[in-house]
Amino acid sequence: MVLPLHRVNVLTGIKSAKVLEDPAEYAGWIRRAKRPLLVLGPKLAEISLNGKSLLEYALEIAKAANIPTCATAHIKGKMAELGATPDCQYDLVEIANRLNDPEWQGVRKEGNHDLVILFGMRTDMGNQALSNLKHFAPHLKTMTLCKYVYPHADYSLPNFRKDEQWKGFLENLITSLKEEK
Amino acid sequence: MAKVVETKETKKRQEVNRIIRAEDQWEPIGATPMPEITDLRNWDMRLLKTYKPWYAPFCDLCCFCTYGKCDLTECRRGACGIDISGQQGRIILLACCMGMSAHGGHARHIIDYLIEKYGEDLKIDLGDSVAVEAPHIRTVLGLKPETLADLRTAIEYVERELVHLISSLHTGQEGSYMDYESKALHASMLDHVAMEAADIAQIVGFKFPTSVADTPLVDAGLASLDSSKPIVLVVGHNPASSTNIIDYLRENDLYDKVEIGGICCTALETTRYSDRAKIVGPLSRQLYYVRTGMADVIMTDEQCIRTDIAEEAKKVGSALIATSDKACYGLEDASERDVDEIVKEMVEEGKQFLILDHEKAGEVAVKVALKLAPKRKKELISEAEAQELAKACRECEMCERVCPNLFSIGHGIRQVAEGNFEPIREIFSQCIGCGKCEEECPRNVPIFKIMQVAASKETFKVRAGRGPIMDTEIRNVGAPIVLGTIPGVIAFVGCSNYPDIDDVAEMVEEFARRKYIVVLTGCAAMVAGMKKDENGLTVYEKYPPSFDAGGVVNVGSCVSNAHITGAAMKIANIFATLPLRGNYEVIADYILNRVGAVGVAWGAMSQKAASIGTGCNRVGIPVVLGPHSSKYRRLYLSKKGEDDWTVMDGRKAELVDTGEPSPEHLAYVTESKEKAMVLIAKLCIRKNDTPQGRAVKLNHYISLYKKYMGGGLPEDLDLYVRTDKDLPIVYKREAMAYLKEVGWKPKPVLSLPTLIGTYPSKVSLEAVIH
Ligand code: SF4
Ligand code: SF4
Ligand code: SF4
Repeated sequence: MVLPLHRVNVLTGIKSAKVLEDPAEYAGWIRRAKRPLLVLGPKLAEISLNGKSLLEYALEIAKAANIPTCATAHIKGKMAELGATPDCQYDLVEIANRLNDPEWQGVRKEGNHDLVILFGMRTDMGNQALSNLKHFAPHLKTMTLCKYVYPHADYSLPNFRKDEQWKGFLENLITSLKEEK
Repeated sequence: MAKVVETKETKKRQEVNRIIRAEDQWEPIGATPMPEITDLRNWDMRLLKTYKPWYAPFCDLCCFCTYGKCDLTECRRGACGIDISGQQGRIILLACCMGMSAHGGHARHIIDYLIEKYGEDLKIDLGDSVAVEAPHIRTVLGLKPETLADLRTAIEYVERELVHLISSLHTGQEGSYMDYESKALHASMLDHVAMEAADIAQIVGFKFPTSVADTPLVDAGLASLDSSKPIVLVVGHNPASSTNIIDYLRENDLYDKVEIGGICCTALETTRYSDRAKIVGPLSRQLYYVRTGMADVIMTDEQCIRTDIAEEAKKVGSALIATSDKACYGLEDASERDVDEIVKEMVEEGKQFLILDHEKAGEVAVKVALKLAPKRKKELISEAEAQELAKACRECEMCERVCPNLFSIGHGIRQVAEGNFEPIREIFSQCIGCGKCEEECPRNVPIFKIMQVAASKETFKVRAGRGPIMDTEIRNVGAPIVLGTIPGVIAFVGCSNYPDIDDVAEMVEEFARRKYIVVLTGCAAMVAGMKKDENGLTVYEKYPPSFDAGGVVNVGSCVSNAHITGAAMKIANIFATLPLRGNYEVIADYILNRVGAVGVAWGAMSQKAASIGTGCNRVGIPVVLGPHSSKYRRLYLSKKGEDDWTVMDGRKAELVDTGEPSPEHLAYVTESKEKAMVLIAKLCIRKNDTPQGRAVKLNHYISLYKKYMGGGLPEDLDLYVRTDKDLPIVYKREAMAYLKEVGWKPKPVLSLPTLIGTYPSKVSLEAVIH
């Protein structure tokens, strides 16, 4: 088990995330999903990699793989500044509360999602929402794109020491997703 | 058989009648005087049907008994049969019992202490403007308390229930998470009874302010204590000892010579006793302040105190006196010893003591402070010194890993080494003061010491806690609150585990400016006053202290929270003339459907915060929590439009499908203050709002949404508009266009919305009609 960067998230248990850092593998899981969902957190607007905000990366990922987006907290306002609109607005705990209901029809009303990708939350709150999904949404795979290990996810990135590694991963992920389209 | 049951029930009822003096005819007795665990279970189940428990387990396992550890993942059950939901409910109940018993223990101690001092017949008199003195004790027990002995009766009832509640946590007891939640709601309702009993006893026994709004403004902030004088720092929640310090100072004409400052709720209590005492800060400043070594004497009482405070005090040469049997720190009990002997050993040998005699503790504290202060050097480090110390940092980020607030603290330290103090200032305002960073640092960088350069040198003004909301105020605002023209009552309460210490002051400002009624308690009440606007004013100086539109009211400490929920109960009683006595369901139903009150515990940390919040939920008040509270593991969430929002129209005795999710959630966590503010405005909406009131509430909801969510209209606006009269004029055109687009249809406006009649209950529909 890889330890999360933030010790508050250390797993007490047994079912821990698979840590991956190969963008092609990540892209593969996204591609295999029939109804993925990208959940956007408020940190996306606070962090930038070489002058490009994480929110822009997130929107490119959504576009490259045609994934609907869910805006949590106040990120919708920041999206508006970039001229983007989310496909739905639920807060983090609210979207988890929908996703864990197998009967929910999902953002596009095509049935509940089978993969949810979390990006840009506080790691503690994100990990808690993932715990809810791990225990109560067995029909769903979960994945994170932040540069930290999230033990409660199914697939997580490692703790990238350097932002360049993270940036490289995100760029390659976008390229892979575009190629696979 | 039926007869046997009947006799048993009659006997029980007779006993209850005896305890609550049923023969006193002040109000008719409702369905549930002194309820036991299952008496309000149907009400709980009705609430939980709409607001289902949402669990985020911290841990996959259970390790409560030697059958375990048990793996509870993927629908597995423990060796005892419990599943992951049941285990979460169990942990929640445990937390609520801890919280409730902390207040219960506080109440029991204070009541016994005051009875010893003044006798059990000391009258409860909360002044000319508070006739409904104890809405919780009246509603839950059915007792109108008249003396300290009656408060003791209330606590005895709480204690009895606690044994049953805790016993249900044992292996092989409760099996359903819903029942665990019902028990947690029960424990938490009792928490409010305990808080109320504690605070009424304090008001009566210590003559804290009551029946008054404009209590004095007291000095606050780390810099408020004059370090040239001997300083006594009191930490915790229970004022028994700190009030004795002040008595001693007053009696010996020493008040000018010694400074008294407090951290956490004891600060609030002490300033209710004497406005010359000072509020150093919330609990998050505890370790930081102790480590500055400014305090000559530290006196601890109970709850939320660093458990290593004795060691920390020793390191910086501060003397320490523990005064509570709940927190003895392994110290020698000197309660029976001679004062001068104790003082001598503390001053000359650096000894620390447990002193359970509060009068003696007060005297010792002052004497030691006077002797010790001249020998101690008390100054904060300079920027140059901080810069030098910070140079040891290698930016390894070990500190970041352990920080509960997830900061890049190492980066801030590195910047100090380079002479840039801005990042560390910012971190200091987000730091919750746990000290884990410093402990983890492989290079022993004294992070807290370096932070001394970041701490504000300013002093602030916080209004002293005023206790209960006055009946006269309730009379004035009852109608506008229930009709909706005062858009809501917002209570900022709880601890200081915030994402940022400035958040609370900013939120208070936003809602006070919008003419909500803002009430505060505990650490939230302190930090609200620790931010100044461009004119150098805090929210307490800027807004009136009245329980009225645009007022900012410091009610007091943690135990004063009972007066906030109590104010909502008083609206039902004084404005709507519903009897309180043993009438919990009716009162809770009234609040849920009619009183637009919302609790905000932005930095909730403790188990007490869990029970305070859950107690608000049972009485129909939704609670918004900050991101850390996702670690409580449980929320109460609805699924908005997808849920069933059928209620009874009380006057027509008809079920009505309102389709209106108000209030939308009962216990909710969000990540940003921006989102929190939008949500708070929405959670003030109630089914009872008049069109005029609803328009006022929607006006704020829409305007906050536009301000913080990048324009547009809330996506769920259609759910809250019943007729076009509900729409605020300023947004009418835009909103109508939106409603048309989403296919909105007019909905019924109810004159008496109630859940009574929608679930099995002993309460009849007539009981809610007033
Ligand atoms: S209480 Fe139950 S779940 Fe917990 S360790 Fe014991 S058997 Fe296992
Ligand atoms: S742990 Fe110590 S050395 Fe490492 S970054 Fe933090 S302060 Fe610097
Ligand atoms: S003391 Fe402050 S900065 Fe250090 S770990 Fe705790 S919260 Fe973080």
